Amino acid sequence: MGRKRKEYLESVLFTIPAVFLVCVVFYIPFLMGIYYSLTKWNGIAKEPVFIGLENYKTLISQSSGFITSLGFTIRYTILFMILANVLALAVAVALSKKFRGVSVIRSMFFIPYIMSMTIVGFIWKFIFSQGFAALYEKTSLEFLNWSWLGSGKLAFYSVVFVGVWQSLGFYIVLYIAGLQAVPTDVLEAATIDGAGNFKKFFMVTLPLLKPSMITCIFMSLTNSLKVFDIILALTKGGPGDATYSATMDIYREAFQRNNYGTGSAKAIVFFVIVLMITQLVMKLMNREEKAGVNK
Amino acid sequence: MSLRQKKKIKRMALVLVMLLIALVYVYPIFLMCINAVKPFGEVVTDVIKLPSKTEWGNFTYVMDKMQYGKLFLNTVEITVVGIAGIVVFSSLAAYILDRKNNRYTKIARVIITTPMLIPFQTIMISLLKVMTTIHFSGSKMGLGIQYWGFGIPMATFIFYNFMKTIPGEIDESAFIDGAGTFKTYGLVIFPLLKSVTATVIVIDVMWIWNDFLLPLLMVNGSNDTKTLVLSAYSFVGQFNTQWHYAMAAMVLAILPSVIIFVFLQKYIVEGVVAGAVKG
Repeated sequence: MGRKRKEYLESVLFTIPAVFLVCVVFYIPFLMGIYYSLTKWNGIAKEPVFIGLENYKTLISQSSGFITSLGFTIRYTILFMILANVLALAVAVALSKKFRGVSVIRSMFFIPYIMSMTIVGFIWKFIFSQGFAALYEKTSLEFLNWSWLGSGKLAFYSVVFVGVWQSLGFYIVLYIAGLQAVPTDVLEAATIDGAGNFKKFFMVTLPLLKPSMITCIFMSLTNSLKVFDIILALTKGGPGDATYSATMDIYREAFQRNNYGTGSAKAIVFFVIVLMITQLVMKLMNREEKAGVNK
Repeated sequence: MSLRQKKKIKRMALVLVMLLIALVYVYPIFLMCINAVKPFGEVVTDVIKLPSKTEWGNFTYVMDKMQYGKLFLNTVEITVVGIAGIVVFSSLAAYILDRKNNRYTKIARVIITTPMLIPFQTIMISLLKVMTTIHFSGSKMGLGIQYWGFGIPMATFIFYNFMKTIPGEIDESAFIDGAGTFKTYGLVIFPLLKSVTATVIVIDVMWIWNDFLLPLLMVNGSNDTKTLVLSAYSFVGQFNTQWHYAMAAMVLAILPSVIIFVFLQKYIVEGVVAGAVKG
């Protein structure tokens, strides 16, 4: 009995730092957030005033901007996921072959990923304004003269583009790792059976690539739902509210308008939506994977 | 033309095309670098042209203005504190969670790893309130310790998955030799975790070094606590018409990560892949 008791005490003692730290930064703020979402509080006053579900009513109303920002976030996420995965897979296929200098080219694609997203946003702000103007004078290509950050419609594509540019290298290396794990004898067997390159890729490589794909799709989903830094540096959410993401809206509501109560309500709703979307995508992908195994 | 030659030419064409795409891909970074060493007049007149002379003065001006040395050390301090705690507490917790199987460890595992699903922005408002109350905001040490909490869920998960590959007989033989649980972990198990520890360090250094929002909320008040990224952000905001200084500040802010990447790229890429696949 003594040894078992000691083991139990030890397991508590050695994990308690991790449990405690996680509680302090995640669970306690999360529970407080639920409470604050039911109050009117400017962050300065001593006592938040309890107002029930008033904040939640406010954020459903058009004027709060929350619905618009959610719409932007969803559109951003969809386009980001498609572009990041398709482009990364295409580049990875080309770079998974062995040739001299391939590692240098891979590194070139990876470099933006090691840079802070804030800096990346600023670099592209410079490119879109100064860089494009200068290139337009040289080449007079019409698209260089478009207002990439000034018009709402184009600004949406600009922020997606820059987001993809920053993290593409990450998805490329994941896909390369997956492609290199595809057994060559299977591909050879397909060649002997008379499959062309195109057929080989879609019928053999792609199905075997499913684990990498699931990782990449899931990573691109969670990362794009949380988009913040790049947009803040690139457009600050503008022009107008054209590129305001949900996370930026939470930030603005709490720390710029000092509506901590409404901000907390937005944060809670955002959390629920993110959780629902990620669970849904995970379920879909698990089913896909099982279906693939059964074939 | 033989089939072999045809194949070779095809391959060459592919290499050239990929090289060209890669060059276009990094061209914005190149533009930033050349404009960081131009005199102001040349930035205004022609962004694309190479500088007529290299103006290193931009860097010294910016370094002086943003107190680069101090901010660099701040960032190093925060990152080192953060990483040390994440590695120690996560590997220890993962070891216990894998080896001891009782009601408590089952619950603890769920408590520790679930927060991977909580986006930071959903808790940041009350987090600031909590950290202000316990005087953790406005302090480098306080920020470093917060990274422990934020890094532990993912790191524990990665360590936990790796722990299963270490056979239990190793613990038992250490136990027979008279080592307690903590000693076994410290002297026998931890040294076996080298590869996975490297993975955790790589992904967490990249994250903490480049993190923006948490430092913005916690340590943006004074230059004594600011990080490099924060300072570059406010610097570029201030100098948004004097692009040559802004560019110099940005180059200086990313220089440490680029230098480290050039030397350790193999480990960094491997670590990133391993972290994503296991995490």
